[in-house]
Parts: sequence; C-alpha cells; structure tokens
Amino acid sequence: MEKKIAVYICTGCGIGDALDMEKLTEVVNEEGSAAICKTHGNLCGQEGLELIKKDMADEGVNTIVVAACSPRVLYDVFDFENCIVDRVNLREQVVWSHKPGDEDTQMMAEDYVRMGLAKANAMELPEPFKPEQEFSRDILVVGGGLTGMTAALEAAKAGASVVLVEKEPELGGFQKKVKQIATFPYKDLQDNPLDELIKAVTENEKIKVYTGAQVEKTVGGPGVFQVTIRQNGSSAEHAIGAIVMAAGWVPYDPEKLDDRLGFGASPNVITNTMFEDNYTGAKVTRPSDGKEVNNVAFLQCAGQRDPEHLPYCSTVCCVTALKQALQIKGQNPDANVFVVYKEMRTLGQAEDLYRKAQETGIIFIRSQDPEVKAEGDKLAVETLDEVLGESVLLEDLDMVVLATGMVPATAFGPDVAQEEKEAEGEEKKEEEELEVPLDVIRRSNILNLDYRQGPEPPALKYDFPDSHFICFPYETRRTGIYAAGCVRRPMGIASVKEDAAGAVMKAIQCIELTSRGAAVHPRAGDLTYPEFEMKRCTQCKRCTVECPFGAINEDEEANPLPQPTRCRRCGVCMGACPERIISFKNYSVPIIGDMIKSIEVPEEDEEKPRILVLACENDAYPALDMAGINRMTYNAWIRVIPLRCLGSMNLVWIADTLSRGIDGVLLLGCQHGDDYQCHFIKGSELADIRLSKVSETLDRLALESERVRFETVSIIDYPKLPALLDEFAATIDEIGPNPFKGW
Amino acid sequence: MSTKVNPNLMRELEEFGLKDANKCFHCGNCTAICPLSTEENPFPRKLVKYAQLGLEEKILQSAEPWLCYYCGDCSDRCPRGADPGETMMVMRRFLTSKYDWTGFARRFYTSETFEIIAVAIVGILVGLALWIFHADNPNMEHAALNSVWPAPAIEIGDLIMAAILTFFLLSNTWRCVKFVMGDLLKKVPLEIYATEAKELIIHFITQKRFGECTDRMQWIVHLLIMTGYSTAFLLVAVFLAGGIELVGLAWEPIRFQRDVIYPFFHPMRIFGYYATFAILYGTTYALIGRIKKSKAPYKSTHGTDWMFLILLQLTTLTGIFIHFCRLLDWAMATYVIYVIHLMFAIPMLVLEVPFSKWAHLAYRPVVIYLTRVKEKYYEMQKGTA
Repeated sequence: MEKKIAVYICTGCGIGDALDMEKLTEVVNEEGSAAICKTHGNLCGQEGLELIKKDMADEGVNTIVVAACSPRVLYDVFDFENCIVDRVNLREQVVWSHKPGDEDTQMMAEDYVRMGLAKANAMELPEPFKPEQEFSRDILVVGGGLTGMTAALEAAKAGASVVLVEKEPELGGFQKKVKQIATFPYKDLQDNPLDELIKAVTENEKIKVYTGAQVEKTVGGPGVFQVTIRQNGSSAEHAIGAIVMAAGWVPYDPEKLDDRLGFGASPNVITNTMFEDNYTGAKVTRPSDGKEVNNVAFLQCAGQRDPEHLPYCSTVCCVTALKQALQIKGQNPDANVFVVYKEMRTLGQAEDLYRKAQETGIIFIRSQDPEVKAEGDKLAVETLDEVLGESVLLEDLDMVVLATGMVPATAFGPDVAQEEKEAEGEEKKEEEELEVPLDVIRRSNILNLDYRQGPEPPALKYDFPDSHFICFPYETRRTGIYAAGCVRRPMGIASVKEDAAGAVMKAIQCIELTSRGAAVHPRAGDLTYPEFEMKRCTQCKRCTVECPFGAINEDEEANPLPQPTRCRRCGVCMGACPERIISFKNYSVPIIGDMIKSIEVPEEDEEKPRILVLACENDAYPALDMAGINRMTYNAWIRVIPLRCLGSMNLVWIADTLSRGIDGVLLLGCQHGDDYQCHFIKGSELADIRLSKVSETLDRLALESERVRFETVSIIDYPKLPALLDEFAATIDEIGPNPFKGW
Repeated sequence: MSTKVNPNLMRELEEFGLKDANKCFHCGNCTAICPLSTEENPFPRKLVKYAQLGLEEKILQSAEPWLCYYCGDCSDRCPRGADPGETMMVMRRFLTSKYDWTGFARRFYTSETFEIIAVAIVGILVGLALWIFHADNPNMEHAALNSVWPAPAIEIGDLIMAAILTFFLLSNTWRCVKFVMGDLLKKVPLEIYATEAKELIIHFITQKRFGECTDRMQWIVHLLIMTGYSTAFLLVAVFLAGGIELVGLAWEPIRFQRDVIYPFFHPMRIFGYYATFAILYGTTYALIGRIKKSKAPYKSTHGTDWMFLILLQLTTLTGIFIHFCRLLDWAMATYVIYVIHLMFAIPMLVLEVPFSKWAHLAYRPVVIYLTRVKEKYYEMQKGTA
C-alpha cells in the first residue's frame, strides 16, 4: 500500500492557545513525509471529521496522524475504514499538564508530532487472523455438576451447541446427594431442585451429554479446539469454540486435620459433607448407635483459614452449618445445637438464615481453637469463648460436625514445572536464576491441553485456576477457557448459578471476537496479532516460555508454533525475543525504535535533558492522562511512549535511547506479585526482571545505572505522578548530561 | 475449669419476659452506646451473653442489671432487634425472684394468673377487714374518717404491715448483698462499707446515675414517681396519726388523716398535692407510653409492669376522690372510696415491695453502693500491692 500521510492538528480544548500552531505545522513540513498538514478548531466535530473524510476521498489520504486529545478518548470518532490512524496526545499530556506558551512545552508538542509521524510511517494496516481450520462455535462444558449443567443450559439458551462431559456415571456432581439447600432468598431451607435441572439438561437437544467420560486431549485454540472425549473405552472428537471449566471440588481430607478436632477419635465426630451423605430427610441420628441426636456441636473452619491446611475460607460452610443445625432443630426444637465459629460468614442475604437460626435458639460461640474431647461414649467440646473471655465446656454431645473446606479439582496431580526441573537436573538451575518463577500447572487430568506450557490452566493461588478477581472474572490464564463454580473459587449455589452464566457469556464473547480475527479482553477488538519472521529464529524458547497465556507451542526442533487465536496481543513475546523477529502490524521493535529516534535531543549546552518514559497503556498511561485532566503540572523534559504491556519492552530500546544521548529512561508499569494489577499477569514482573540485566548494557556504554528506573504505578496513583517525574528529572539533572549527546 | 453451658436457662428466662436475646450476635453496639456502662462494669452485652450460654451463677453475681436504668438507647441502636435493654429488665425480674427466698416472687413473675389472684385476695381481705373492724358510731352526716377508722387504729395496721414488709425486703436484700459480694463480703473492711454509705443515700434520693442517660425525660418521670411515692408513703405511714401515736409521739398539727381539712397552704396539704401530682403525672406518662409503645423502654410490657402502674394509678385516683368527697363533705362516699383506696394501696405495698417491681427501691441503691464499695476495695488493694 502506497502511503499518503496527512496530519491534522486540533486547536480546540486549549491546544491552540498554549502552542504555536505555525511552528508545529512547520515541524510537519520539515519532516517531509506528510503530504497534508491542517489545523482545525474542533477536529472531533462534524466539520472536522468532514475535513478528514474529504481529504481521504479527494486526495487519497490513507494514513492519518490526529494531533489532538488522548488516544484513550474519542477512539470511536477517529476511526476510519481502511485507514491507518495514529493519535498524538497534545491535550492531556502536553497543554493540560505543562505551562502554556513555554518553550519546553512547545518542544514537547513538536517531539510528539515527530514521534507520531515516525509511527505513522512505520506501521501498517492490520489484517485480521483467519485460521485455516474450520471455525467452531460449539461450547465444551467440563463437569456435570450444578455449575456445568447450569452453564450448558445457559449456553443452549443463547443458541450454542454444547458438549457436556461428566466423569461420574450420572450427572449431578456433589449436589446429587444433597436433600435440602440453603440459597437465595435464604428465608428457609428448600428442597433441592437438582433433578429438574438434570432432566432439563438431558432433554435439551442442543446439549450432547457424555457421562462416565473424560476429556482425553484438547488441541488448538479458541474457535479451533479439537477435543477428544473418552467414554467406555471409545473416543469421540469434537470441534469446539470455547471451553467452560466446571470441574468442581472435593472436600478436604479430614484425616489430615489436627487431633484436637477429634476426627477418628469417635465415630460421632463427622464432617459437614458426611452429614450431607447421611441426611435423608428423616431424623438425624448418631453414627455410633443410631440414636436420635439431641446435643450437637458444629465446629467451623476445621482446617480452614489455617496455613497448615487450607489457608482460605470456603465461604459456604457457615451457611451449610446453619442449614444442618436448622435440620436438627426442625426434627427436635428442644435439641441443643451449638455452632462454634471464628467468624460467621453469611454473605449477602444469607444473613437472614443466620437470624433464623438464632431465633430457633441455636447457640453461637465465637472461638478460634476448639478442642474435641472424646472418651469412650462421651463427647465434649472445650473452647475459649472470645466474647465471654472464658473457656466454656459443651458436654454430653451426641455428635460433632466439622466444617471442612473445598479443594478445587485442579489441586491434584504433580506440578509440571517441578517435573521439568527434576528432569533437567541441577545444571540448568543456575543459568535461569533470574527467570520469572514458573506458574503452577498440575496434571489434574481435566482438560489435558496439548500446550507447550502444560496440560491444564495455571493456578493463581491455592491451586485455583483463576485470574485477577476484579479485572478478569471467569478468565483462566488460557484464552478461550473459562472457569466457573467451585473450581474457580469456593462458592455457594447462588454464586454458582451466576458464575455459570458469566463464564458462558465470556465463552460466547470469545467465540464471536475470535471469529472476526479480533483479540478478547483486555485488548478486545484488536485485529493485530504477532507475526514471526521464522528465518531468523534461534529456537531459544524464550517466547514459548514467557507467554503468559501459553499461546505458543513448539515443534520437535523447538521452533515456536504460534496459535494466534490463543493470543491476547500483549506483546510479551516481542519483548522476550532476543532476535526481535516478532512484530505486530502497528507495534514492533522497529516502530518504537523509530519513535525514539525521532525525539530531538538538544545539545548539551542547551541544558535541556530528555527523558524517555515507557508507560504501560493500561494503568500508567491513563494515570498520566488523569494528571493532565486534573491540570497537574510536571517536568517537560519527558517524552512518553505507551506500551501494550511493559512485558513487551525490548531491551534494545533502552540501548537505542541512551546511545542517542537521551539522558534517562523511566519505565512505568503495573504492580506485580500476589496482588498483581498487570492486565497480562506477568508483564511488569518480566520487565522488572529484564531490566535487572540492563546493567550490562549500561556498563558497556559506561553509563550510570540510575539513568534507568522502574516504577509501579496504578491508575489511582496519578496524584503522585508529578512528584515522581520531577524527582526523576532532578536525579537525571544531578547525574549530568548523557555523554552520547550529539554522536 | 471451664464454664458449663446450660442452654435451658434461656427457656427459664423467657418466663420472665425474655424475647429477643437470642438475636444478639455480640457486636457490642449496646455496650458502646450505653452512657452508664464502664470499663469495670460493662453492660448490657455481657448479660446477653450470660443469658445465651445459661451462666446462672454469673448472672446471680452480676451487679450490672441494677446499674442500668433502662433508658433504651441500647435497644434503639441494636442492629439485630435483640432488645438488650429489655434483657436487662428481664435480668432484674429474674434476680428479684432469685433474691426472694420465699419463692413467692418467682410465682408472681412467671404467672399472670397467680399475680392477679394474689392481688385480688389481698385486696378482698383488706376490704373485709375494714368492713368488719370499724368504729361503732360512724359519723354519717359529715365526712369524718376518724369516726369510722380512727387514725391510731389504722396506724397499728400500718405498723404491722411495715414490720412484715421490712422483714421480707431486708432478708431478700441481704441475699442480694451476699450474691453480689460473694467472697468479698467479709474481706472488705467495715471502714469502706461505712465511708461509702453516703452513696447509698445519695443514689436513693437523687438517682443521679439515671440523669446520665441520654433520655433525661425517663429520669424526670422516674424521679417524680419515686419522690411522689416516698412523700405519700411518709404521709400515710409516718404522719397518718401525726407521728407514732402508739408510743405517744404524735403531734396533731402534722396528722395526715384528720377530719378537719387543713388550710390550702398548710405543708401537709401541699405535700399531699405534690405526691398526687407527681405520681399521677409519672404513671400516666408511663401508661400512655406503654400503651403506645412510644419508646424502647415501653415496647415490651410484662404483666407485673402493668399491675404495678395500674395499682399505683388507681391508688392515686381513689386518693383524689377521697379528698374531693371530704371537701364536699359526702360522708358515705368518702368511706366507701376509702375502703377501695386501701384495697388497691395495700396489695400494691404488700406484694410489690418485697416480691416484685417495687423491690428495686432497695436493690438498686444497695447494689450501686456495693459496686462503689468493691471499687474502693480494689483501689485499696492496688494501693497496698
């Protein structure tokens, strides 16, 4: 495509008053690559847009630089078909955050226009990825419990064909044996309507049910999954668009509990799930002799919220204990029922059930560490009542019910990373010391993915295959695979239903976007994808290891085999590649390099240092915009380039920057670690680790290490940004000019 | 040694009017809001917890129920509707029945039928006694009470009644002291008991602790009823015959029951009017409040609460009628109403003072006093330690 570039500078929103427009136009003309340069007082208005469209029609303009507001706003307005568009942020990050009419402000605007032009020159129009295989819109649901069945029905209702795989011979999961449920609106116990759900699923024509079956192998990616299902010794293949993972949970093994809790010391010490197994709707009886129970104690958090056992809260045990206590009270209102709890966690309207239980006379005792005393037939619980401040004794108990927690089905099986380490032995360890710790992926035999990084989605915490709980509900860290129900996090019936519907919605979105060749959340709609110049690949495996989403497989010779429908377009592979063979149509190592090179570096005696800021476009860049919106001013020596993710930062940019005489480099990324905010999970962590290797580069150039710094910024940190930038500028000023200036 | 939990106590307390205590989830808002709760004696949450766990011993030893005047702030602020103020009230009923060694208080509190029958029997006995024992030649032309029931004779009845009441009330109060003090009873030096005695009197007269409650109206109403009642009690029990005639200590100018009506500004008449006004205002306010359930302390009304207020109100009303009948010089009407007046007043005194709600007139100041004594004792212990 022959490019015809036009630059449109908006003078609205204060831009025209703060900057010298003539000089800015001159800069464009000096650069020479743009055929047209026009200013307009209100570019986003009808008249302004007409101006652009007219040039496109009459002059054949096909590449546009809009120098106006932040690319984060009006992106739908400046969207022209078959036309490359680049945005130069003159409003939020120049005139709103710097002194109007100032020389430095003018220089900043001019540099941004040059950078925009450089990018417009280098980038190309994206062509959406179309997979070679036939595209499937079917949804696979793994797990036939309450979550799986609800998901299957929701998907069928939305018009999708569903394949439902359940490993047990019957549908139903854990709920199959539950007689009564406590769920919304929590006013009373309800009969479990599961049988109706099973009937609805089995009768639905759009749902193909496999029971007593397992997913033997999952190959491909969203839209092009090939799933092999094994049932009764025979295998079936299905083409699948997206997967809902509803593999459920298993109760924590009570044998592992502390002896204090008395499990095993008496047959009358049981767990909440054993209570559920025994409950038939008839009288609750003592396991030892079948006598009707009269005095029962429920001990909550048995091996839960305990670093030795399950460190987390399973969220449902409090409501379950209330339900079971009410069942006992229902059969005998004079029964003495005690609930010993750490905190009653009756989420949302489940509080009403707690109230009901209190009103029936169930006695609640707040305590951290109850002890079960079993001597022969006698059963008692002794515990420090924290409200009373004294130890209390519950005597003559017929039964003690321990609230054990939920363990996700993904928590079983050996860890793949561990296996690899053992296989590779000691030698390799030292070499990879600085690498990002690998994700925990267990061979839990649920999806059996044919992925380079392991057969199941990686665990975030405590073996739950989740992502950041606020930003990415339902998303596992494998594109097109959405976790729902208790495998994602412990939850009760009401949440499970919501979860199932949510995950299905995500699956449908994924299929829809992938069918258009677009990325899914968080870069939803992005039509670019990474392209590999395989001739230059050295089979170093960096891209296949570092991809946070396992999007790249490899062949026997360790050549990367990218699967673009699994890709989230973060560019981490691009940052990882030492050969720089990975690029997107509008985002690549040379494109950013060109932008860096277009920054004008004043001579040393002008005393105008330059600082390059590589800002994550998900948090740091919007934070800079926020500072501008709030009219906060900061140092005008900085030049910001937004990155898709700091993980896509290639070290060569830092070398380029410093060798051009730019005085400092500041990386602004997201918080990483346990409460990570990175949209691509590990991006900023990877950048931080890569940066630790930059000292070599700096040494080679004989430069001070303080010239390059990494900072984490979240969007709410914008008030701190000006101080941070000014402080870094002051540090750079102190260090003195970069000796490479003018080379 | 761990405390044993007794889930059955709640059922027992329900007989004393406990309704919502099991709704409490121990957030502690009640204790935080209570202007009378202190670090040493926090309440009411503690008592709610005792009730839930059935810790009868601890309840018996508790001074807190008597430190509460039931302003109702706690019940208003309770997020669960557990009505902690009413729980404290129930505790006072429960304790009154526990202090009473005769077991009469317990029956009185736990059975409304028993309560009504007891009041009715005493009332009828009083009526019969007055019917049978009266002077031979009543003055039927002029209203002259002394011509029917001479003041000295009534005074003898008064004294007998007072002796019996004092015996029961004091013996019950002694039990209260023993429960509250426990082992400390004999450990505390007499000196402290003596120096703190002024607290007993101050609290009895001013109820100044009640004044610390947010709702000062409750304090004023309570003070009106208390002072009105005390004044009336002094008038009818001490000054009925102008002192104690029996031992010759009587002075005619201050005799309450006499046939010649005092001039309007005579102190005895003024006192009488004050007592009448104070009791009538107080009881009417409380009755209307309880009927309308206007505020937290008036929301739940136990049978004994109604009985107490109604008897007090009727006693006062009949007292007013007697006064008007005498002013109008209606002889027969005066005598009849006098009988009715005593048929209300005496059951109220005989039953309520030692065995029911009125008993708090002794328990509350005594327990406040003992609390002070304990605090002084602990301060002393700290000083010597």
